[in-house]
Amino acid sequence: MPAAIPAAGSVRDVVKQLDAARDRVVLHADGHDVTVSNLDKALWPGTPTRRPFTKRHLLRYLARVSRWMLPHLADRPLFVTRFPGGITGKSFYQKHWDDPPAFARTVAIYSSHGETDGEYLICENLPTLLWLGQMASLELHAWYSRTDPEPDATARGRRFTGSEAELERSVLNYPDFVVFDLDPYDYSGREARGAEPELHRRAFTRTRRLALQVREQLEGLGLTTYVKTSGRTGLHLYLPIVRDLDFDAARDVAETIAKHALRERPREVTIEWAVERLRGKIFFDYNQNTRGKSLAVPYSTRRHPNATVSTPVRWEELERIYPTDFTIRTVPDRLEADGDPWDGILSAKQDLGTILGVGGAA
Amino acid sequence: MARAIWSGSIAFGMVSIPVKLYGATESKDISFHLLHATCGTRLKQLRWCPTDEQEVPWSEIVRGYEYAKDQYVTLTDEDFEQLPLPSKHTIELNAFVKEDEIDPVYYERSYHLAPDERAEKAYTLLIRTLEKKGLTAIANITIRRKEQLCALRPKEGALMLETLYYPDEIRVRPEMDLEKVKISDRELEMAFALIDLLRKPFDPEEYKDHYREALNQLIEAKLEGREVVESPAPKESKVIDLADALRRSVEAAKKGQPKRAARPKARPAARRRARKVS
Repeated sequence: MPAAIPAAGSVRDVVKQLDAARDRVVLHADGHDVTVSNLDKALWPGTPTRRPFTKRHLLRYLARVSRWMLPHLADRPLFVTRFPGGITGKSFYQKHWDDPPAFARTVAIYSSHGETDGEYLICENLPTLLWLGQMASLELHAWYSRTDPEPDATARGRRFTGSEAELERSVLNYPDFVVFDLDPYDYSGREARGAEPELHRRAFTRTRRLALQVREQLEGLGLTTYVKTSGRTGLHLYLPIVRDLDFDAARDVAETIAKHALRERPREVTIEWAVERLRGKIFFDYNQNTRGKSLAVPYSTRRHPNATVSTPVRWEELERIYPTDFTIRTVPDRLEADGDPWDGILSAKQDLGTILGVGGAA
Repeated sequence: MARAIWSGSIAFGMVSIPVKLYGATESKDISFHLLHATCGTRLKQLRWCPTDEQEVPWSEIVRGYEYAKDQYVTLTDEDFEQLPLPSKHTIELNAFVKEDEIDPVYYERSYHLAPDERAEKAYTLLIRTLEKKGLTAIANITIRRKEQLCALRPKEGALMLETLYYPDEIRVRPEMDLEKVKISDRELEMAFALIDLLRKPFDPEEYKDHYREALNQLIEAKLEGREVVESPAPKESKVIDLADALRRSVEAAKKGQPKRAARPKARPAARRRARKVS
């Protein structure tokens, strides 16, 4: 099912309601009512030079970017990280929902973890996005596969419940992308003991160089990749593919590319998660190509003090940008001015078999 | 600092001082893995039983003490646990000696001893006492199931613990007969002169491991020149060209994935990263 793209008018309307509201209001959004409260709750604490970003900021942000964000969420099982007390408080993952509102679509999927079926949320309209914002869902993760087999996976099953085998046969086992997570573990030296590395220029420069190299190599094979900031320290590369490779195959492809990068830059790259092998290197993580896993979706906010956003960028701008350029304050204007660099990513799908000249490819 | 390898307390008369033990030295030797020269695969060690002609899992392994040729008594984990180890979590001080009464041959390994929170006072008192009296404490400690003799000495305002060999662990020296050797005064004078030339205070910083340095340079040079041998994963052959490698990945995937059939279902790497957020 495609996303219900809100009209510019209804987005303006929601923003106006948010601006006028006191601490709590029933938002009218695209024909549905969404109750939002605690609007002045600080989700990203203030700094000496800036006031905190509150839930009102978050909801306003979500409304304004919804036109560009919803197409990346449509039809995909979603899980979120919620931060009810803001980014400095406790956070928790949520995959399943007991009583989602009527406007939110859900899909039942077998879960090998609980050995039962669980209801997943699918966010494909503005009211659902606002409802997630109300629950302080600061980080959104959507599967790389989706429930609709049209147009490139029509032979795959649409039954997702009952057993692992059923799910493996289904279209949800066939991702739209091969993804590469480039994650610098290059420490600035200022981190607390045991903390993840913080963002700094040298690490980002090296990550950018690696991303450009991967892009160039794949371009040389006739393959187009897309890039976005993770919103934290790294970069995410997406290679949109025709859905005839399952997750295991997608991971094999990613692993092959990761190992090639490792061979080319053995001192800068690592593909091992063992902490002692990560230090000072860029972690080329190919394991994200797994059913049920997900990187932050395009335009998801992150738990970074600056309220950064995982932001798609054009390859030509990559040299000029820095992750903290993209925040809940700057991204809506950027989208309204230039649109989404990842617009149409699903129509840019590539048939790896044909492009690589694999014998007997259908 | 690294993680403590032991924690317990120093028992000194009626006083007990909670402390943690940290290794004070580390070997910087470069270690190598053994690869099969023809294919670059990392070799695996098998615990092999020649009688049953099979690999033996840990659950079927016991320790055997060879009391006569090919004759063993076996000991299980339970046997080991029953052994009395009085100083399991205590360092029991039982004598005080002068440091130079301990011959260096007895020193085995050095550790730093750090006080636990709230034990600083008793810890400091012990150091001051040892410093003032110029004494080293002799004690027992059990590290990794092994009871050891040790010496505690103050160094730069903290305590160091040196494990000591037991006397029966020191080997007797080979016999030599030097009584009849004659040394003239002139020879002695020459030797003195040579020594005087080289006499200076000991500064460990002046010495380094030239072999390790050269080895490091060699490894760096090989990395620089990308002379990297990749140990092929069991499921995949060695590939150099990216296009070729990708073609193989996709091809294998399309052909009913024979190589992935052998892959374990639970992917430890994937599972372990489940909590990571990117």
